[in-house]
Amino acid sequence: MRHFISAWKIGGHSLRENYKNKFFSLFIIFAGVLIYASLLAGVMAVDEEARMLTDTGLALMELMTLAYSVLAAASAITREIETKTIYLVFSRPVSRPAYLAGKAGGLYAAAALMLGVMALLHLSLIYSRGFTPPPFYLKAVFFIWCKILMISSVTLFVSLFTTSTFSAVSIAGILWILGHFTSEAKFLIARSSGAAALALSAGAYLTPNFQLFNARDLGAAAPPPAAPGFLAAYLLVWMAAPYLFSLALFRKKEF
Amino acid sequence: MKKYAYLLLPAAAASALALSGPPAFLAASHPFPPPDRIREVGRSASGDALALSLGFRRLAADVWFIRLMQYYGAPPEMDGSSGPEPEFGGGTYPDFLPIARHILALDPYFTNAGLYASASLAFNLSRPAEAVSLLNEALLYHPREWRYVTLLAAIGYSKASDPAKVARLIMPLIMEPDCPVMLRQLAAFLNKKAGNYRAASLIYKTILETTRDQFYIDNARKELARLEGMQR
Repeated sequence: MRHFISAWKIGGHSLRENYKNKFFSLFIIFAGVLIYASLLAGVMAVDEEARMLTDTGLALMELMTLAYSVLAAASAITREIETKTIYLVFSRPVSRPAYLAGKAGGLYAAAALMLGVMALLHLSLIYSRGFTPPPFYLKAVFFIWCKILMISSVTLFVSLFTTSTFSAVSIAGILWILGHFTSEAKFLIARSSGAAALALSAGAYLTPNFQLFNARDLGAAAPPPAAPGFLAAYLLVWMAAPYLFSLALFRKKEF
Repeated sequence: MKKYAYLLLPAAAASALALSGPPAFLAASHPFPPPDRIREVGRSASGDALALSLGFRRLAADVWFIRLMQYYGAPPEMDGSSGPEPEFGGGTYPDFLPIARHILALDPYFTNAGLYASASLAFNLSRPAEAVSLLNEALLYHPREWRYVTLLAAIGYSKASDPAKVARLIMPLIMEPDCPVMLRQLAAFLNKKAGNYRAASLIYKTILETTRDQFYIDNARKELARLEGMQR
């Protein structure tokens, strides 16, 4: 219980920190402007304006949240180590698992807040144009958040062993692309053989499959790629595993 | 041994990752065409690669649909064809089919794009064979789409030069709220040709209420005025 309370407090502090961050406001303003700009693209599509408006807005929301979350995750712990703030935290009865859980929780909550604000902006734009959002809209936003949870967890772990924020962000970017490339990777594996096929398969298996959560791209007509239970378990594994790896690395660090 | 006990949980997590990887990759369905189905159209390779890398197939298909409409909306002279000016919607437009295929290879569930492109090919550009091949390709990934099947039947009947039958066949399509305006325009035209002026008027009125495309609005007003004169 004590660990949970510590994690909750650190998570709340981390969320406030993110919320007060200038970048956070900048990203939201920028996203708002971009979503508004999607109106222009929508008008060009004439009778497909509703679809264009929805797709552009969802894509921009995802990119904005991704950019902010990856940057925040890459610097969340390393910045506290550099500024020595972490010593103050550990001078109190705060365990390392609680600290890590709190930091991750704060990032997840900040992403949810950012997505929520942008979704409200986007929805008001859709309604103001006289349209209704497609039936998969909320699912698409929720699944964007799921993808962000996975990539933030991985980035937090990567930031503990990389030498700079830039390298952590780069690795996260590569994983994001590979994770969306699964059906293409499947095609490549089917066309290759021997060691190349083995290496490609191993790489594909150990990359988070973001395409499973790409409800934004699947729309309403495409069949779901996997059962909801499997998706939940997969998400949990990709959140828990980086946390446990981070914990193992964190144990070795001297504070 | 106790010294390494803290590695037990990460090892379990690594096993969970290794176990969940193959089913997530192999068993999960990937309901999109493989990349070799996406043929390059007008230096589209880098844009397509970006779309696939970021999971933006749907958005890329939207952009290509706008390009298709701009291409088809441009005067036919711009695509190099010569001779007398063709009727509205006519002309050569050699890239029409490749662009339409490109859209459906990116997002095979973009039904309105499939309907718009096949109907234009079949009824405006007089290339029904290409329309049928496009619809058959679309049906590969979206076999339950009844609107494709209906349009296929309508194209089949159009070869028999029976406008009344084609108009009846596409009637369920135009009752759909998000039916492409171009199909509504076609249905109105076919009804007019078959002498069903009342049905044609109703469809032109629906066009006025549903589309934001100024061209179709102007055309519907003009046709309605003409039909009123014919019905008197």
